[in-house]
Amino acid sequence: MKFTLRTFLTVLLAAAATGFICYRMNADSALHAAAARGDAMEWLRVDFHLTEAQFAEIRKLHAAYAPSCEEHCRRIQEMRKVLQAAATDSAAKAAAEQKLQELRTTCETALSRHVRQVAAVMSPEDGRRYLGMVLPKIASFDHSAAPDLHLNSPL
Amino acid sequence: MNTPRDALSAILRDWRVAPPADPNFRHSVWQRIGRRKGETWPAYLRAHAAVWALAAVVALSAAGYTGYATARARARADREAIVTTYLVELDPRVQALHRP
Repeated sequence: MKFTLRTFLTVLLAAAATGFICYRMNADSALHAAAARGDAMEWLRVDFHLTEAQFAEIRKLHAAYAPSCEEHCRRIQEMRKVLQAAATDSAAKAAAEQKLQELRTTCETALSRHVRQVAAVMSPEDGRRYLGMVLPKIASFDHSAAPDLHLNSPL
Repeated sequence: MNTPRDALSAILRDWRVAPPADPNFRHSVWQRIGRRKGETWPAYLRAHAAVWALAAVVALSAAGYTGYATARARARADREAIVTTYLVELDPRVQALHRP
């Protein structure tokens, strides 16, 4: 009985060690750290194996995209105000809704173009993986959580 | 099998077992107890090697797979969270919804 218990505990210990080692070998601590900080640029750097040159190029692309993003955001907000103001006028409301939809489509197109440019900087395999992650979300617009607006922080 | 009940009872009543007397019986019992008392762990493992080897293979495989699957699940969750943060930062449609 004593040996049975001792052997059982040894096997248990060895199993726990194996589980821990397998976890550590397959865990991506850099990715986890970036996600925990909400640092999207760091995520891009570590998860898509960016070289310094690629990372700098992507920073530039993001910096170039930021003003147009800001402008689109402002225009959408203006159009939403117009829509609210036209609540009683059905013709004006329909026109505003139409315009808002066009603006959203323009934003989606611009964002898709931007992420394709970013993907083009990455290695082909990483670029495909990146687009596979972001394009479906852009198309389905299922990332509309409260924003964590770091974009205008120094890139 | 078809022996009448009374005949069977008679046979059982007359049945006697006469085992040969073993003068070493007591000694043998104590010897076995002594052997068991002095058994070492390696000897125990050798005696039960097949069972414990199988248990170890199963336990280590399950633990290894659990570790692997947990790490992959965490990486997936991390990616899902950060890709959402990333797109929220880039998508004017979302920013327009949440900005004052």
